[in-house]
Amino acid sequence: MSSLKHKGKGPQVMTANGLRQGPVVYMRKDYSWSTVFAEALQTEDEAIIAAMGEAAQSASEANLIVGAYFIDIDPATSEPARYRERFRMNGPSFDPGRPTHIEHAEKTGPIHLSET
Amino acid sequence: MYRYDEFDTQFVKSRTAQFREQVVRRLDGRLTEDQFRPLRLMNGLYLQLHAYMLRVAVPYGTLSSDQLRQLAHIGEKYDRGYGHVTTRQNIQFNWPELVDVPNILDDLAAVEMHAIQTSGNCIRNVTSDPWAGAAKDEVEDPRPTCELLRQWSSLHPEFTFLPRKFKIAVTASENDRAAIRAHDIGIKIVRNEAGEVGYHIYVGGGLGRTPIIAESLNEFVSREDLLPYLEAIMRVYNRYGRRDNKYKARIKILVQETGIKQFTQDVDAEYAAMTPADVAVGPEELKRIAAYFAAPKFETLSDKDEAFDKAVILDPALSRWTQNNLGQHRKAGYTIVNISLKPTDGAPGDITSEQMRAVADLADKYSFSELRFTHEQNVVLPHVKRADALAIYKALQDAGLADANIGKVTDIICCPGMDYCALATARSIPISQAIAQRFADPERQHIIGEMKIKISGCINACGHHHVGHIGILGLEKAGVEFYQLTLGGDATETAVVGDRTGKGLSQTELIDGIERIVEFYIETREGQERFLDTYRRVGIAPFKEVLYADH
Repeated sequence: MSSLKHKGKGPQVMTANGLRQGPVVYMRKDYSWSTVFAEALQTEDEAIIAAMGEAAQSASEANLIVGAYFIDIDPATSEPARYRERFRMNGPSFDPGRPTHIEHAEKTGPIHLSET
Repeated sequence: MYRYDEFDTQFVKSRTAQFREQVVRRLDGRLTEDQFRPLRLMNGLYLQLHAYMLRVAVPYGTLSSDQLRQLAHIGEKYDRGYGHVTTRQNIQFNWPELVDVPNILDDLAAVEMHAIQTSGNCIRNVTSDPWAGAAKDEVEDPRPTCELLRQWSSLHPEFTFLPRKFKIAVTASENDRAAIRAHDIGIKIVRNEAGEVGYHIYVGGGLGRTPIIAESLNEFVSREDLLPYLEAIMRVYNRYGRRDNKYKARIKILVQETGIKQFTQDVDAEYAAMTPADVAVGPEELKRIAAYFAAPKFETLSDKDEAFDKAVILDPALSRWTQNNLGQHRKAGYTIVNISLKPTDGAPGDITSEQMRAVADLADKYSFSELRFTHEQNVVLPHVKRADALAIYKALQDAGLADANIGKVTDIICCPGMDYCALATARSIPISQAIAQRFADPERQHIIGEMKIKISGCINACGHHHVGHIGILGLEKAGVEFYQLTLGGDATETAVVGDRTGKGLSQTELIDGIERIVEFYIETREGQERFLDTYRRVGIAPFKEVLYADH
């Protein structure tokens, strides 16, 4: 998994999709995973970034998550720098007549994934 | 409609059981994601931007009320209460969990449905005229031909790993409602001078990053020669189609690079080297398939219905719905009801489970339990007594499905775009919404007349933008969405790829620009000219001028 080395700049966050259910997840401080972006570990520390890469590799091999990769964080907003990643974070911008992605997430509660 | 025989039932069941095992092995790690991905894709399961997405096949868009109810059940139990009708007349669920998919496939199998060949480099769901079997202008019902192709192309061992995906559409009318010339192979059922029914074959069409209108390959292929002839085309493609570059792998590139003349010779040579009888299907089998599509028991009726005509005069909204949403049926006293999935405040092609049930009930009550999904992302009740149209209209109003905008400026084909799709570069649903709201006034839509707007959120062109009268392509640069316009595209029997106007526009500039284009058309049109006619007469220059007027 070559994608586990980050090529970006500035603070990094590790993201993936949960294997069983499929949701977008972010790596937390304890290297577990959460659907809540606010819980994501953001860091510029290369040693921690390297450990995150290894933890993501391990979580992939443990069949917890799929398709892990680093994303760039905009230091000014502490949110994903790339436009596509902001959609992954917020869900569809358009849920007419239905509960929004955020309302749905509030109703079902956050999903946490960990190897233990 | 077609019913599974013992073989079909057994096959779909065993495939579902296989997938259940594959999911177990994926979850416990005996299969890696790299090993599992092709297996899930062969069963229509993608991993999209936010979640898994399951694409369910609806062969040539035909389905029964019971099948639609089952889709409603799946949407409610395993998804978020809705499904999305696609431009291949299929339906997608946007939020299934991997662990539930084997159960979903079981539920689908229970009503003779599956998700096989809705992804991958194989022959995808064969699409057709949504008015098949009902249209006044058709040579014959195209669905027996579609079903023959479905059986031939399902798990065809030679065509399971083609250079790229392959799409076939069939129409039996002069008025092409299946966009056949935007397909890898387009088939038009025709009658020759001797009165025999056969097939006019087009090849090498497709949209995507290289939009090309299919060329005529053979003006008359006889019934018995259809499968051998198609097999010859597929073999030429399978052998010479490019595998070195994904973006040059579709048959359209091969046809362009070879030239239609040489390509025809290649197909003829391949055909000459075959034993057609090995592939051809005899008249008995064709008859057996056709029997599944026997016309329902129509009553002898008159086209005159005073009560309905009176109600239409009294109610302008009903009048518009009658004018726009009813199609001409081949039997007197019957009509084709087109149900719009394009409300001014919803995503194009979305239908809730509740709405699916309402429509299924209407099909049971009024349309021999039969329904169609259309490639324009709407629903059709094909065989309705004109006398029942009023009751249907009222029921559709209750279900929030009575929009009278079929073929109008707000009846937009729109891909899921960045709101759902992992490949998208920009959003498309909000653009379609902004257009629908700008032109929401039904009277204004009526004045504008026929207008096909099509929107894609990336160059893969799932929203068919190249063949929209107005086509919109969403792109992104440095985190900002912008939109490129094409004008004058056409997906029908007079198919043509639209012309690019030039510089991209922001969403606000785009919506204002489209409004100016529409206004200019209304000022400029002569007589009964549609937008497309006016565009063809005056050319792109004046439209460009008004589009970029505020630049």
